[in-house]
Amino acid sequence: MIRLCVKLTVIALALFASAVQSSAVVTKTTVIADKLAFPWSMAALPEGGFVVTLRGGQLIYVAPNGAKQPIELSLPDLYATAQAGLFEVLLAPDFSSTRELVLSYACGNEAANNTCVVKGTLSAQAPYSVFNAQNIFTALPKKAGAAHFGARMTWLADGTLLVALGDGFVHREQAQLLDNHLGKIVRIHRDGSTPNDNPYKHSQASQIFSYGHRNVQGLIYDEQRDAIWQHEHGPKGGDELNKIVAGGNYGWPIATYGIDYIGAKVSPFNQLPGVKAPLYTWTPSLAPAGLALYKGDLLVSHLVGRRLQRFHYSNDSWTLTDEYLSELGQRIRAVYTSPDNQVYVLTDSAEGQLIRVELP
Amino acid sequence: MLRVLLAFVIAIAGAALVGSVMQTQFNLAEITALSVSVDMPTRMNTIVHDLLHFGPVFAAMLIPTLLIAFIIAWLVAKRCKRFERWWFIVGGGLGLATAFIIIDSLAPMPTLIAANRTTLGFVLMSATGAFAGWIFDRLWHPQARELNEELPK
Repeated sequence: MIRLCVKLTVIALALFASAVQSSAVVTKTTVIADKLAFPWSMAALPEGGFVVTLRGGQLIYVAPNGAKQPIELSLPDLYATAQAGLFEVLLAPDFSSTRELVLSYACGNEAANNTCVVKGTLSAQAPYSVFNAQNIFTALPKKAGAAHFGARMTWLADGTLLVALGDGFVHREQAQLLDNHLGKIVRIHRDGSTPNDNPYKHSQASQIFSYGHRNVQGLIYDEQRDAIWQHEHGPKGGDELNKIVAGGNYGWPIATYGIDYIGAKVSPFNQLPGVKAPLYTWTPSLAPAGLALYKGDLLVSHLVGRRLQRFHYSNDSWTLTDEYLSELGQRIRAVYTSPDNQVYVLTDSAEGQLIRVELP
Repeated sequence: MLRVLLAFVIAIAGAALVGSVMQTQFNLAEITALSVSVDMPTRMNTIVHDLLHFGPVFAAMLIPTLLIAFIIAWLVAKRCKRFERWWFIVGGGLGLATAFIIIDSLAPMPTLIAANRTTLGFVLMSATGAFAGWIFDRLWHPQARELNEELPK
């Protein structure tokens, strides 16, 4: 009897363990378009098809049948090299009536650059072009180097725009200082003006919404929970999933779960008083890039990790439940959920693909 | 030959140790400048962590760098024997500075070692190569007066 009880307990524990661990799930995928040179972001158009940014600076229209067509776009100050280039495209919440969209990109040159955002209007029909492009935000100061631009964006419920920024790599301490935009998330109106209810009032920091970020690569507003979810790259280890709140300090570089690429500690502290602790950390780093909501779950795509992860929300935290697309063996730059609840990913290579993924 | 090898190994170990401890101080100085206090046990733990994790990587960087630098210094010293010690010191320092510049231009990140982001950090970290040069020549070709140094009582 005792042996039977022990056996049943072991079986129960094994079942419980398998239930709480993530599982790799093979999913059906359909390649919509290929030969996309380092695609970075996408948005589904209400009339069908997609707008896709390529890091080299091109904006592409991908028809539902996969046919590609360049979209005319003029960004005279585009800086495209290494990590720098054209980044996120985001349709305005009222795109159907206004045709307005915003684009983030690296602006400037090798000696002086940072992240810029333009607002433009997409023509009504193909062949598409973006006209009336006007700058609504320039991250300052301009700095040298072509690393850590952040550049993910999301609309909040009140119609304001969050723009996530990077620390420029060599300027990591600036992420803790409120007199610049390095390592910050900023909140602006669609016309580029500053909302008067941002957390910091003094002129140098009036656009800052949160700070202490390294290189934000995922940002999304969750209407269902009225919450902002974000992830950012750590150095060697310490990639973070965070809940962003106004005025929050997210710790970089004074508190981190990562160490420098060469093995040295960036900071002796994982957590500090007054610093928001991450909800989830990836160590070793999977380099998350892209964040989407699907059926109330979070989808996180990974560059180094070459997979798509699914997190389920319960008891105020996110739990990793499933992993997809490992079989592709591809770096994944972005994950996107269209308004009709279809999931798409962009793979990161000179011959990148736009793939539809069928998830349960 | 054994003497050269031993001198080289000790020079690498000495430079890796000093370089590791020094870059830790630069990193912690940046943290304390942001009003975060770092007490002595935390500082010591960080030094030990970096010695174990940064030290070996830095040593691996030093080995090919100083091998080339010391061969050049030796060739120069053959022509100008009088300043041999200085050729190794200068060779080690310039060699490491050159290696930092090459590595940073090739690596995906702009600066591999955070301490090298400032001019002072770059100069002091490069100076660990000069220190290795001094150790190497001091052990390989000790000067007459160095051989006659009395042991402390």
